[in-house]
Amino acid sequence: MSESNSAISVNNLWQVFGPNPEKIVGSPDAALPRAELREKTGNTAAVRDVSFEVAPGEVFVVMGLSGSGKSTLVRCLTRLIEPTSGSVVMNGEDVLKASDARLRELRRTKFSMVFQNFGLLPHRRVIDNIAFALEVNGVSKEARHARANEVIELVGLQGFAQAYPEQLSGGMQQRVGLARALAVDPDVMFLDEPFSALDPLIRRDMQAEVMRLHEELGKTMVFITHDLAEALRVGDRIAIMRDGAVVQMGTAEELIANPADDYVADFTRDVPKSHVLTVRTIARPLASNETASGRSIPATTIIRDATAAILDADGPVAVVEGNTTLGFITPRDFLLLVGGGSHG
Amino acid sequence: MSNTKETMFIAKPKKLKRGWLIAMLFAAWVVLAKIFQGQATLVLAVPEDTGVTTWAGNVAASIRANRSDGASFKYFFNPIREFIDGFVTGIREIIAIPAGDSSIPLLGWLGVIAVIGFVVYAVSHLRMAIAAVILVFACGALGLWTDSMDTLAMTLAAVIMSLLIGIPVGIWAGLSDRALKAVTPILDLAQILPTLVYLAPLALFFLIGPASATIATMVYSIPIAVRLTAFGIRGVPVSPVEAGTSMGTTKIQLLRKIQLPMSSRTIILGINQTVMAALSFVVIAALIGAPGLGKPVIDALIIRDVGGGFVAGIAVVLIAIMLDRSTSAAISIDESFVPAPASARRRRKLGLVSAGVATIICIVLSRQLAWAAYFPEQVDISKPVSNVTESSIFWITENFEFLTTGLAKAVTVGILNPLEGVLSNSPWFLTVAMISLLSLILGGLRSAFITLTLLLAIVASGLWFDTMVTFTQTIVATILTMLIGVVVGVWIGRSTRAERALRPILDAGQTLPAFVYLIPMLGFFGPSRFTGIATGIVYSIPIVVKIVGQGIREVPTNMIEAAISTGSTKWQLITKVQLPAAKKSLLLATNQGLIFVLAVVVIGGLVGAGGLGYLVIVGGSKPELQGKGLIAGFSILLLGLMIDRIAQYTVARNSAPKH
Repeated sequence: MSESNSAISVNNLWQVFGPNPEKIVGSPDAALPRAELREKTGNTAAVRDVSFEVAPGEVFVVMGLSGSGKSTLVRCLTRLIEPTSGSVVMNGEDVLKASDARLRELRRTKFSMVFQNFGLLPHRRVIDNIAFALEVNGVSKEARHARANEVIELVGLQGFAQAYPEQLSGGMQQRVGLARALAVDPDVMFLDEPFSALDPLIRRDMQAEVMRLHEELGKTMVFITHDLAEALRVGDRIAIMRDGAVVQMGTAEELIANPADDYVADFTRDVPKSHVLTVRTIARPLASNETASGRSIPATTIIRDATAAILDADGPVAVVEGNTTLGFITPRDFLLLVGGGSHG
Repeated sequence: MSNTKETMFIAKPKKLKRGWLIAMLFAAWVVLAKIFQGQATLVLAVPEDTGVTTWAGNVAASIRANRSDGASFKYFFNPIREFIDGFVTGIREIIAIPAGDSSIPLLGWLGVIAVIGFVVYAVSHLRMAIAAVILVFACGALGLWTDSMDTLAMTLAAVIMSLLIGIPVGIWAGLSDRALKAVTPILDLAQILPTLVYLAPLALFFLIGPASATIATMVYSIPIAVRLTAFGIRGVPVSPVEAGTSMGTTKIQLLRKIQLPMSSRTIILGINQTVMAALSFVVIAALIGAPGLGKPVIDALIIRDVGGGFVAGIAVVLIAIMLDRSTSAAISIDESFVPAPASARRRRKLGLVSAGVATIICIVLSRQLAWAAYFPEQVDISKPVSNVTESSIFWITENFEFLTTGLAKAVTVGILNPLEGVLSNSPWFLTVAMISLLSLILGGLRSAFITLTLLLAIVASGLWFDTMVTFTQTIVATILTMLIGVVVGVWIGRSTRAERALRPILDAGQTLPAFVYLIPMLGFFGPSRFTGIATGIVYSIPIVVKIVGQGIREVPTNMIEAAISTGSTKWQLITKVQLPAAKKSLLLATNQGLIFVLAVVVIGGLVGAGGLGYLVIVGGSKPELQGKGLIAGFSILLLGLMIDRIAQYTVARNSAPKH
């Protein structure tokens, strides 16, 4: 993917806290483990040399445990925290070079953010919370309320426009957060652990809501989470962070099929592989004593969805991509994978 | 969590050793003081001067001589004084003193009461407004209408100007870390500075009168407005601020639309505290010519007229209650931002309009008709109140002698005199050495160094003996305060019921000016050192009880459950778990107690307690002793600083995690 047609392009981004942060970047100290760096120079490298591209309309997930630097990273992208060095290019413009006035303009019109603790303004009605970015941009009351009412409809908050945040449940409050982020019709939305404060059932609803909105509106999203299941559910691609650096980036299938290191492997171990991997990853050549059943399934099928096709066949099933056969799967292969035994 | 556990675990054997050290130190101190009793005590008779006090007197004299011609006066002090004087006079002319050529203020008493009722109704609710009206009327009924109005006007003037300066500075300190760092030392100093200390220096530059009284009041109350405003701004949760920034607010928009509305509750609390501080100071500022209720209080204290002083004291209390209740009623009780339903708002609008009309009618009447202009003299209950007070105090002192003179005697003979023997009646070098050593054991090397420096500065000032007299009284009062405060604090910390019952009393106790407590104490104990001590105790108990209670309450539940589940008795639970775990609060309470006590004990100089406070007060009234008074004030400051530093270093040492 070339820089010119990606929605966001992040290059060599660093965020170092502590004294003389710019001296750390590029010095041998930067490679030190976290504790040693702090001991030696008093600095903490929260984001280390992060680079990635996000395509227009993509949902890009940044995943990591607490302290991995993911929240700092997303704040660097919108300059809520000033990065130490690097570049963040959106639509051909380096956000890090924008003047204060230009940055405000970008924030008011081009990108928006959803927060873990919602960040709603308790002293304002739902509708005025949603219209806030328009208000600070000088949009007339009539126009901004009209727009706010549109997004209220969009996120299913009809009838709550005049309520105050404290009168809503957590899930409803985050709908207000989503509506507020959508109100300016941004190019990019940043979601910082938007559902971590919600209980599991509501979290699932809200994930579905985000995916629905994404399908309807096609916004580019950068989604921060510590929850792997959430990452797998909403993400087109996932970057896993540890100690401020990205340790692996790829689709869910790539991460699970080929973890880059023990850390990622450890992380993904409990994910039911059959729910993520496609049949392509377990297709193998036919052994000499086996005969193909004559049935076939497309290579892009998720293993779980191929359950019936594999188990019902009376022999190995072919995995095909177009006209080529990539390999075969037997019921035994399938059960070994689902049962968690080693494959082959 | 692991840190505190570790500290407590390691600190144990060390503490034991330290306890032994302190005990040995005291033993040596007592023995040596006995041996050298009465030698090198640096006693200085009241009219006597030292080099330092003579110098201060000369400086004061030259400043006074310079007042009309000196450039700093012409272009700095005098314009400030004239401006503030004009402002204060303007406000006084509205409610207290004859305005211009008229023989009455702009508003007669009926008009004033109506305006007060209306304002209180507008910021809170009808019940509070009625209460405020009754309280103000009662001040008039005590025969003190004009003095009460003067106090109110002085308070109002000082509060307006304090807020005009304090809130912007507070916002600045709330937004900028650098600004906070710049103002924090000033705020800290203001907090430990006994009020009596800066009256005389300010009067020197701004003359005796309403202007310097107002400036002194502002010096006292601005830090409070700054601190609470900054605290409010900093207390706004991070996420709405981040959300606002991420939506492209300018700094001004962020402040106006998010930070200020969300911190309004704390800022109003700050206004409440500023008002109460200003009121209590305006009363004391009568010493440098503030008009109002402070004057009858001081006059009564000087001629030992307990009944008359009590009447004026009650008026102060009534105004304090009125101001405190109505400003705190303006803070909505629940945390909700949801406004009242439309019907209630309509009703309220109607109420405000009709109250407004009634107020205007009252104002007009009060400017036209004599009965509405001059507070009716027939309504005067001051005599009976004064008589009842005097006879009941007489009855109490007659029938409960063991509680009044008996208690005073017991404390004086049992604690005060022996301690004076050690601190002030022994050679100064012994006391300096021993206090420094104590500071070394408690707070470490730096603490000892600062203590030694401050003590030597006091010796150099020539007022060593009087400082030690004041110090002795401060320590005795603090010990008694802590004994009572810890017991009550533990009680309210453990029982929600007790907390709920005592909280209003504690709140009220904290808002009353220290002066007011002097009057009944004078009645019970007569003019003596113990009267100052008793006032100090009564004044500082509420803050000590509150801090201790909160400390006990904040001990983690799991600690308590663990102790109960291992079979602790209630007594074991308190002594072995709750008190040790609340150690930091106990130290903090001691520090606050000392500072509060010191501020009040020096006022005891008015009622025969002697020491530095007495010198400050005579220095204010006798020009030939002015130098001595100024140095006495400075010595109070040094003493306060020393107490605070030792306490701070002790706290720091006890809470820092050790490796």
